[in-house]
Amino acid sequence: MELIEKKTEKCVIIGINGRLDTINYSILEKRLTELLDQNVTKILINCSQMDYVSSSGLRILLMALKRITMVKGKFVLCSLQENIREIFEISGFTTIFEIHPNEEDALGVF
Amino acid sequence: MAFYIHFKDPNSDEIVKFLSTIPKTPGTCFFMDINRSTDMKYEGGLTDWGRKLNNTFNFLSLLNDFPQYIVKGIGDEIMLFIPDDVLKTNPAINSYFMLLEEIYATLYNIKHYPVKDTFLPCKVAIHYCTEVYNVTFFEGANDYYGSDVDLTARLMTKCLENRIVLSEKFLGKVHQDLEALGLSDRTGCIGHISEPFLENFKGVPMSTKFRIIDVE
Repeated sequence: MELIEKKTEKCVIIGINGRLDTINYSILEKRLTELLDQNVTKILINCSQMDYVSSSGLRILLMALKRITMVKGKFVLCSLQENIREIFEISGFTTIFEIHPNEEDALGVF
Repeated sequence: MAFYIHFKDPNSDEIVKFLSTIPKTPGTCFFMDINRSTDMKYEGGLTDWGRKLNNTFNFLSLLNDFPQYIVKGIGDEIMLFIPDDVLKTNPAINSYFMLLEEIYATLYNIKHYPVKDTFLPCKVAIHYCTEVYNVTFFEGANDYYGSDVDLTARLMTKCLENRIVLSEKFLGKVHQDLEALGLSDRTGCIGHISEPFLENFKGVPMSTKFRIIDVE
């Protein structure tokens, strides 16, 4: 998995490229923790290139959501592939995350 | 497919011959129990407990990754047995460390899910089994028997809500994975594993060492 990060005026965008699985989720965890520790509270996760997510990956997203919600920030996801959307639906994550079909729409909420 | 054991003559020599040919099937055994669901059946109707059980079973990712290895469900308790050869060839989860990390993450996600009354908390016992046979006494059924399966059930007696109980034998397999993957022995949930406990379980002739992870 590779993280592709870019900063915009509105938020930090993290693109997840590849599998967010049990072995590599700590890469995302570490980066999100660094950003949160730097008081970055507006984060967009672009999932267009993410082709697998494990429960461990979901855990990191949930942790980040909780932490950002506490400081009234915004943690938004976009561009979920169909198989990922299905996992999000089964796990109820579509109810708790703000998810947009593409990056352009997602940027509009910041 | 399980070896079907069914001999009509109780004194048959054939059964002894047949049994002596059955190989062991090493693998990982899980007992998973969904908490509070019995209470709910008295308090709410099928629409309440049925919905939450549906949601929770869906959420248990291991059940979706290894659907053919759900050996049995008794009420709200499930036995899952993943033979080593199946684990090694699974495209998503193919090590003992990943099994543990996935179940930990699932329990964490259930505990921290922000919408109340969606899922039910779980407890899980895990043991790495070597004394186990893929046999059944009932035609068409699949099952696993052996002293290690019984021990997994005994470990379940040490489980509480949001707790994973794992045998020392399973932890040993996890540590082998960490070493092979070049990961630290504090990786992920490993840092939350307790010191060992010793217990003399009923019917088990020697003390059993086990550990717990309370999902916080």
